Amino acid sequence: MNTTLKTRTPINWGRIASYAILLIFAIIYAGPLLMLINTAFKTLPDFMKDATSLATSLNIENFSEAWTRANFPRYLTNTLIYTISATAIYTITAVFVAFPVARGYIRGGNYILTLFIIALFLPPALIPQFQMMLALGLYNNPLGYILLFTVNPIGIVILVNYIKTVPIELDEAAAIDGSGYFRFVISVLLPLIRPAIATVAVLHAIGIWNELILPTIYLTNQDYYPITRGMIVFQGVYGSDWPTLAAGVLIMTLPMVIIFLVLQRYIVSGMTAGAVKG
Amino acid sequence: MRKMFLPVLLILVLLSLVLSACASSATPAPADTQAPAEGGAPAADEKVTLRVLVHQNPPMVEFMEAFNQKFQEKYPNVTVDMSVVNANDLSTVTQTRLTANDVDVVDVFGFANAARPYMKNVDPPNWQTLIEAGYLLDLSDQPFLANYYPASIEDAGTYDGKVYQINGGTVSYSGIYYNKDLFAQNNVDVPTTWSELVAACETFAAADIPCMTAGGKDGWPIFVGAYGLIGSIYPDQAALVEGLWNGSIKWNDAKSMEMWDKMKVYAQDMMEAGASGIAGDAAPGRFASGAVAMFSGGTWYAAAIEEAEPAFEWGYIPFPGSDNADENKYLFGKYDQGWAIATKSPNTETALLYLSEFSDPASYQEWVNAVGFFPTQPGATLDTQIGMEVAPYLENFKVGYEQYWVAPKGAGQYANPYASYYKPFGEFDDPQELADKVQADLQSGLDANQ
Amino acid sequence: MRTGYHFGSGWGRYIPYLFLIPGLLLYLLIALGPSVATSVFSFTDATGIRGAPINWIGLENYREFLFLGRASQDNYAALGRTLVFCFFVTTIQFGLGLLVAVLVNQRLRGTSIFRTLFFLPVILGAVIQGLIWSLFLYPLGGPMARILEFFGTSSQFFGGPPPEAFASVIFVQIWANMGFTMVIFLAGLQTIPDDLYEAARIDGASSWQVFSNVTWPLLTPSVNTNILLNIIGSLQAWQLFLVLIGYRNGTQVLGYLIYAQGFGQTSGSVTSSFRQGYAAAASIVLFLLVLVLGITTQNILRRREERILG
Repeated sequence: MNTTLKTRTPINWGRIASYAILLIFAIIYAGPLLMLINTAFKTLPDFMKDATSLATSLNIENFSEAWTRANFPRYLTNTLIYTISATAIYTITAVFVAFPVARGYIRGGNYILTLFIIALFLPPALIPQFQMMLALGLYNNPLGYILLFTVNPIGIVILVNYIKTVPIELDEAAAIDGSGYFRFVISVLLPLIRPAIATVAVLHAIGIWNELILPTIYLTNQDYYPITRGMIVFQGVYGSDWPTLAAGVLIMTLPMVIIFLVLQRYIVSGMTAGAVKG
Repeated sequence: MRKMFLPVLLILVLLSLVLSACASSATPAPADTQAPAEGGAPAADEKVTLRVLVHQNPPMVEFMEAFNQKFQEKYPNVTVDMSVVNANDLSTVTQTRLTANDVDVVDVFGFANAARPYMKNVDPPNWQTLIEAGYLLDLSDQPFLANYYPASIEDAGTYDGKVYQINGGTVSYSGIYYNKDLFAQNNVDVPTTWSELVAACETFAAADIPCMTAGGKDGWPIFVGAYGLIGSIYPDQAALVEGLWNGSIKWNDAKSMEMWDKMKVYAQDMMEAGASGIAGDAAPGRFASGAVAMFSGGTWYAAAIEEAEPAFEWGYIPFPGSDNADENKYLFGKYDQGWAIATKSPNTETALLYLSEFSDPASYQEWVNAVGFFPTQPGATLDTQIGMEVAPYLENFKVGYEQYWVAPKGAGQYANPYASYYKPFGEFDDPQELADKVQADLQSGLDANQ
Repeated sequence: MRTGYHFGSGWGRYIPYLFLIPGLLLYLLIALGPSVATSVFSFTDATGIRGAPINWIGLENYREFLFLGRASQDNYAALGRTLVFCFFVTTIQFGLGLLVAVLVNQRLRGTSIFRTLFFLPVILGAVIQGLIWSLFLYPLGGPMARILEFFGTSSQFFGGPPPEAFASVIFVQIWANMGFTMVIFLAGLQTIPDDLYEAARIDGASSWQVFSNVTWPLLTPSVNTNILLNIIGSLQAWQLFLVLIGYRNGTQVLGYLIYAQGFGQTSGSVTSSFRQGYAAAASIVLFLLVLVLGITTQNILRRREERILG
């Protein structure tokens, strides 16, 4: 932090440069999004004539067309169900894997961790996975689909690293107070590692939300489609009708952005809290 | 807020599990509705869900939705559950759903690219593998086969003496759409030879009008648009494929060089500069907007052009690749979409009924009008604009190279006669260099499998 | 590294194992097991169609992938492109992510907006990222085309000559994932206590010296995480290629090539056979590449971490 002793604040070139650079990045990031919004409000002939011109009127019909054609309410609900269930199951099981590994409470903890790390590089498991799902009768079944997303090695690694920063004295203290293993993890540990959980859960949820290939293979009943699947089918029809397509993309993007904005503050405060603690 | 976190999380988990369990039980899983006797005829009061799989093709999907309505009205105990996937995904999803016994009627393309005796060590096409594994129902004795041209049943639907598909029609991919108004305004006659085509393009270029467009972004529209060029040099494409395999024809011999030279002109001088940014299904719209003089594309685009701009005046001619007008009378194409039935389906009787209704001449005529395919049933005519345009050439319809070719294993990725290898769509500028590369890539595969 | 267990003795000692089992079991069943099975598949001529005969063919798939004719040279070309992609994406994304993280970390007014904005693409996913940029880079009059026109040049971006198209995809990949790198750096920056900065400033250090002597060394864990994730991720990423370019000669990376050859999308024809056994072999080759590079990187980084942080 700069402290100034002069009566006149000197021009902080550093600050100006920072803002300038950030602004350039912001343009690169916001530009395409603005273009998307602009296009969503145009009519197709307008777009074909001049792709970059500003929309002259608010053509809402693009949105209503996209909304009905792509059956967004149903697909959105599906996506929410899949994402929340799988993320919840994953997070809980992951904590119970990460905790003993981080603390060394189990024999071979390091081997288990390595086992998970190897997964980062694994070859795609698509075909054997498919055969297995068929054999278990979980094809075209939401439960089976959710099951596919209950693993994520990166999350384990993040959790292990974070749990290691929680002092082991807490374990001792809790045990002396008579707390059991399960009770300790749930009521003491979980709140403490909330930032890591938030990060892991959000990353995992994003992966599920954006998954495209697995729904194509496993969910053939239209009622089960998640929103990515609906989007692609939509794009197949409207691929060159950019205004309608843009409207559809916006509709799909909006809930994600909102959820992200809400969760983001949570992660940030968690991360800052972590910094203060450190 | 802090204390509520955990209970809230647990409740969410439970809630979502309950919701998904409800969702999966409320929607009847297809297997639940099968008749107890496999393949038994549906009793009037037995509920059947017929699962149909098609690929994305807006006019076709629209027709199918109307057709399904009518079918359900005629057979009230049947519900048709139709899934639509992108064309790219069709073969994958067909395979997975057949394997999972999750579909009754599948949309297949006319059987093509079969392994011929002179091809060494090639993999069979996917439909052949499916048939040999017993996934497609034998339709050989079905009465509705009689509604079709025997040739179409034979060429598109038969394997090893048995019939496995009925085919809905053929399309041609070797023609050019042209803008009647622009031609009239610029005093250009419809080209019947290669030189006339070149001259026409030069006239348009001088008037600042892009000569030709195609959906370059998707890649294939560029080289498919040039299939007519191949055809004018090698009219018998089955023989072309055999010649390539046994070495009597090479992609860099004198005859082929003529083809490559012309392809260069097509790709660089005729095709508009922005073509590589236009998506496949945006091209008809671009053409219909009146911005370009010609559109090198298949007959299946006709419906889209009509829809984009109904008042637009256009015509369709075979791609005049030769300087001899007589050699430019052929249209090359393929058998397009057809239907097959899953052997393991519990609803085969209903599925056969479905195909039978489809094959009914009145219904078939509507199909042809909707999708713009050339009919595979005698008595059906293509009453639309495109039908009239191609009528004079229909008896010279030939199946094209693409439907015969199977590459030898080990052949490089350039072993194809694709105009899109030229800049700006690809990397090549010099015809000889490209031809040599193409032949070398093919040759390495041929040599590897001696 | 087993420490004393605090929560019980006797049978209670085994409770951690009990609670660990669900997570481990799911992982083995859904991820590790099938992945291992892929390697078994690679020694067969499986098509992926159940009921079709599967034959054991040993190393035949590998021989074809690595040595057979021009096709194998195409595979090596794809391999090379994969490495090029990895290199450029990793280095540029790393650099930009670090820069932006440092700037945003200054907690100037309004920087939280920047942080949100830069992370946004990460949550949108490849399809939306691809669509957004396809629109922005629309060659016929889109914004970027207009800008280039102003400067007197033009480009077909994704439809252009392979090097241009490839570069465009690299650009979008970096754009899409820089936010992720940034966030990891931000978390790392937050762990550096402010008093260290104070101390350095009091000692009269310049901004650059502060960065290189305080920030950079203490960021080592984040640096390592980012490098590793970046390398592995970019070696395996090909979704953007699918959305933006399609399967074009001269642009394929190994991941895409594997998928296309396994699902018969290499030619324009819809009847190409699926070659799951062959694709499995190819993906094992990619896996080995990722493994070797990943482990080497991991080792180098770990040694560096020990050296710097002790």
